[in-house]
Amino acid sequence: MLYDLNIPWSPTTSPQDLDRTLSFAHHLGYSVVALNHTLPPPIPASIPNPLPLLPPSPGRPTVLRRATIPISDPSTNHRLPQVAAAYDLVALRPTTERAFLAACTSLSSDNFALISLDLTAFYPFHFPPRTCMAAVSRGLRFEICYGQFLGAKKDDSRARSNFLSNVAGLIRATKGRGLVVSSEAGSALGLRGPADVVNLLAVWGLGTERGKAAMTENARGVVVNEGIRRRGFRGVVDVLGGAEGEEEREKTEVEGAGKKEKGKGKQKGQGKDKGQQQGQKRRSEEGEVAGGVEAPVSKRQAKKMKLAAQKGKPTEA
Amino acid sequence: MVRFKERYLLVNILHPEGAASTATKADKPASGILIYNQPTTDHVTPQSLLRAIRAQVATLFGDYGSGAVDRNLQVKYLSLATSTFILRVSRTHYRLVWAALTSMNELPAKNGSSCTLRVVRVSGTIRKIEEDAVRRAKQMMLAAKEEMAGKKPANDALGALFGTNDRGSGEFDLMDVDSGASEGEEGGSGD
Repeated sequence: MLYDLNIPWSPTTSPQDLDRTLSFAHHLGYSVVALNHTLPPPIPASIPNPLPLLPPSPGRPTVLRRATIPISDPSTNHRLPQVAAAYDLVALRPTTERAFLAACTSLSSDNFALISLDLTAFYPFHFPPRTCMAAVSRGLRFEICYGQFLGAKKDDSRARSNFLSNVAGLIRATKGRGLVVSSEAGSALGLRGPADVVNLLAVWGLGTERGKAAMTENARGVVVNEGIRRRGFRGVVDVLGGAEGEEEREKTEVEGAGKKEKGKGKQKGQGKDKGQQQGQKRRSEEGEVAGGVEAPVSKRQAKKMKLAAQKGKPTEA
Repeated sequence: MVRFKERYLLVNILHPEGAASTATKADKPASGILIYNQPTTDHVTPQSLLRAIRAQVATLFGDYGSGAVDRNLQVKYLSLATSTFILRVSRTHYRLVWAALTSMNELPAKNGSSCTLRVVRVSGTIRKIEEDAVRRAKQMMLAAKEEMAGKKPANDALGALFGTNDRGSGEFDLMDVDSGASEGEEGGSGD
């Protein structure tokens, strides 16, 4: 599975061009592609999503919809939660050191997944490893767009050298982990095959293994995380099946509660995993009910339930 | 006397814009495979190709790059009908040439049409490259026929025989690069 999480789109992009780009991406072997819409800073209260919603078809990769927000002053309201709700994927493009620091450390990582710098610009600051690794460990990923390098004009060697120095800085700061590579190709001409991209990264100083991971695993991690965050329960439990019948629910509940206490040996073997998952989910929703089913509970379990009950009360009241 | 170690690159010329008249002549929309791999109609010679690659290496890597690469860069084979060529590069610096190829986006001819160059195979011997070129051409023909006929992806016996569909080949390329790289490093330490 190959991912390209940045194919620029603007309201002026013609459907033919878009179609050609997508089918060429498919031809090169990409299976998931994200159309990128850049939202200029004053973000309106209501956020329509103008990106075309393309249904899956055999001659085309899966298409996601992504928003990129240039951010220069982190204190202004960028309405990130609303943007995140309207798009499949949200990236921030910091332009100043303050914005970069905020994106790496303080801005809530629930609302965006990528830090996508414009690497052709000159940044009068370093990318400190501690900050960058803090961002990576929070689940954010740095994006490298090779289109910015390949698309630079022949005589614009300043942009290319800026790009190279920024890429070197990023690779140094993150030790090659937590990077995502995408194209940012304005047309089909800017797209490159995956092997070519991995080689380019190798020339720029990122090992082939890391380069491959940046195109496949890391990008997939971003997409799957964002998907679960939007579909699943609190971004942790994914809801795969539909609702069950009442009887079955009770059964799994008892099983789940029985599974919690070790050493009592009352649980049944079948449906362990399923029962456990659903038991966990229900516990945070209705802690008291699950607690009342079985009398003997371990100390640890009692403490957990107490905490859960305390947590649950303020939201209910 | 130590032998001079080389890498051979099998390169495809892809035409993402599909601007040539041959493709647009057809009344129905041609398949993607046919458009992207259409024959190159520009007048490209091995010499002009070589010159263009050298110029690109010089712009990207400067004097150091051209010095490292120039001596044994050679176009071994150029077929405009299949839009394929084979390059010979010194093993220590094949990544530089590859990067230069990646960053080229037009053909080295008069009003050369826009294209991208895609390296599909890296190998230490030219024989493997030849075999691979033939295999890929066959596979592509089959895929194009199927796409024109039934519009369904290659999942049947022939597809299985000649490799896989597009996505599979992409993965294969990634694997291929890796093997070449590790080989190179081993050999490099041995020298």
